[in-house]
Amino acid sequence: MKPAPTLSSAFLKPGGQSLPAPLLALREERGTGLVDMPLPTRKTENWKYSSKYLKLADEMATSLSNEGKPGPSLPAPGYKVVFLNGVMMPEASDYPDLDDIRIRSFRDLSDDEAKTLASRLDSTLDTDAVQMARLNSARFEDGLLIQLKPEARLDQPLFIVHEVTADASGSAFPRIFVEAARHSQITLVEEYISSGSEPVMVNTVTEFDLADGASITSVRLNTEGDSVQHIGATGVRQQRDSRFESHTVGFGGPLRRHDLQVRLEGEGAECKLNGVVVTQDKQHYDNHTCIEHVAAHCNSEETYRNIAADTSHAVFNGRIHIHQDAQKSNADMNNKNLLLSNGAEIDTKPELEIYADDVKCAHGATIGQLDETSLFYLVSRGIGRREANVLLTMAFINELVEEIPVDAVKETVQVQLNQFFEHTFQEA
Amino acid sequence: MLSIKNLHASVEGKEILKGINLEVKAGEVHAIMGPNGSGKSTLSQVLAGNEAYEVTGGEITLNGKNLLEQETEERAREGIFLAFQYPVEIPGVSNLQFLRTAVNAMRTHRGEPEINAAEFMKLAKEVSKQVDLDPAFLKRGVNEGFSGGEKKRNEIMQALLLQPKLAILDETDSGLDIDALKVVSDGVNALRSEDRAILMVTHYQRLLNHIVPDHVHVLAGGRIIKSGGRELALELEERGYGWLGIRDEDTANETGQ
Ligand SMILES: Nc1ncnc2c1ncn2[C@@H]1O[C@H](COP(=O)(O)OP(=O)(O)O)[C@@H](O)[C@H]1O
Ligand SMILES: [Mg+2]
Repeated sequence: MKPAPTLSSAFLKPGGQSLPAPLLALREERGTGLVDMPLPTRKTENWKYSSKYLKLADEMATSLSNEGKPGPSLPAPGYKVVFLNGVMMPEASDYPDLDDIRIRSFRDLSDDEAKTLASRLDSTLDTDAVQMARLNSARFEDGLLIQLKPEARLDQPLFIVHEVTADASGSAFPRIFVEAARHSQITLVEEYISSGSEPVMVNTVTEFDLADGASITSVRLNTEGDSVQHIGATGVRQQRDSRFESHTVGFGGPLRRHDLQVRLEGEGAECKLNGVVVTQDKQHYDNHTCIEHVAAHCNSEETYRNIAADTSHAVFNGRIHIHQDAQKSNADMNNKNLLLSNGAEIDTKPELEIYADDVKCAHGATIGQLDETSLFYLVSRGIGRREANVLLTMAFINELVEEIPVDAVKETVQVQLNQFFEHTFQEA
Repeated sequence: MLSIKNLHASVEGKEILKGINLEVKAGEVHAIMGPNGSGKSTLSQVLAGNEAYEVTGGEITLNGKNLLEQETEERAREGIFLAFQYPVEIPGVSNLQFLRTAVNAMRTHRGEPEINAAEFMKLAKEVSKQVDLDPAFLKRGVNEGFSGGEKKRNEIMQALLLQPKLAILDETDSGLDIDALKVVSDGVNALRSEDRAILMVTHYQRLLNHIVPDHVHVLAGGRIIKSGGRELALELEERGYGWLGIRDEDTANETGQ
């Protein structure tokens, strides 16, 4: 039998020299934990459908240089923080300097602040379930810390643009930590983009810590190129009456993985998770979500849609875990999938673990193709096949696209979708 | 305008239409009557180009052009309109978007400029009033959650917007109450014109009280077994289909919906 593959020692590189000492120490400590870390295989339950897309050549171990200049990023009406290969670019960024909302690079933290942060990094994630996130903690070069004081509200969305330059093989480790104190409120847009065409890995970790009554709206848009393997993890911890809303929109690539873990730890907390995935050619996309109902009286609502064309492969795994004390939990998970070709594959799996007896938990998953009867109805009105296909495919995700709370993102998504339609539906 | 010669069609290997012959001229209204299962919807769907139905013989021409060579959308652009017996619900596509896309597809085909959203809204509101549908329906998904009668009115609304050369109405009268029947038949009468033909497919004769056909045909067992003027419809009303030697259990038990 072949020995189980482990992470190549090439990936255990020193670095992080620009970080404050406590973060550097954390990074090194996490690094030692990675020696001989097993890599996911077909037999690893949470990577069953996706391990074959993970291809970490040693050349990809090097941290991508941040010497370059960020390319023109998407229009970001609002505030903007630009990261290039995981390192913040202050010159390209434009965000307010406020007393009650502090937005800073990890590199700019005092040792005391860095020490506090170091004690909190990874605290929102179950790193056994998102094993690849451990690599981020061992390799991040910089990060973004956002701290909202009680009642603070950012008046416009904050765009965090993560660009990687795939001009040479290598990797980048974007990192974000958001601390939202009581009743604070922010809308964040994480955009992952790339230039260049050499094989690279982007390994991201974003953490949201919501105190009582805090409200975070998070938009995550992934449009990286076809040489980027993206492995991302988002951890969310919610206290009493807090609200977390996420809109994850992703277009496929050679490997796309996003783990979203939400812990509802205070009564009355609620989360709403929307997701749209679109894949074509030989692309892949895998969303794993996990909602932990720890406290009673929490609500979760999850709606994910996958569209797979050509010979692409989309995966959705939605876990809901209702703990014993989480009475009166309300959980609703819905996943619908659309196959646009016979060669495409979609795997969907709801995983429910319910230990409380007085809960409402609904879940549904479907996989289907475009409805012939509907298509006939549309073309019988003179609408062309191509347009009819587009209308019906759009109908599948319309609601989720409409719900994206930032117009600029909605527009970018529509442009990407139009390219997808252009590629997928030819005029008869 | 429409010429059907010895048309044979089957569905899932079973022959349904067994040699249909029919000539329809511009300006005429033809009623095709027949008991359930006689092939009325099959004929309608074949005319519209539904590929689930296989044409195994015969020919259909519209103004001299071979219809069978054309895709459904080409037929529609050439002027064929089918009001479905069972209109399809399409959640996620708004009625307004659907109608505007259809109208613009026709316009583009005719080399006319597309109609813009505001102009179209105005037009759509007018036409929806004509069929007594609240303009709020325009914002809903196509036929989504519409009652049977609302769906039928939506079909007529589409015909009014698209102004076809040949309108085929498949049981547009079924499932309507008296008031809705009036609205629908007013709509159909508004469609009547010198250069348009209407093919009304119906099980009952009651629509024909409101829309007087020029010709009536009886379809049974996949063939037109009798043709006549409007008096044929009245005769069918009085005597049922049994009189023509058609086994018609369903019809005997039904008194109109
Ligand atoms: N899609 C279909 N699949 C199988 N059988 C069909 C289908 N459509 C129609 N048929 C059959 O064809 C015959 C004629 O049906 P139809 O044309 O719907 O009759 P009508 O509209 O006159 O009631 C019936 O026996 C019906 O069962
Ligand atoms: Mg019928």
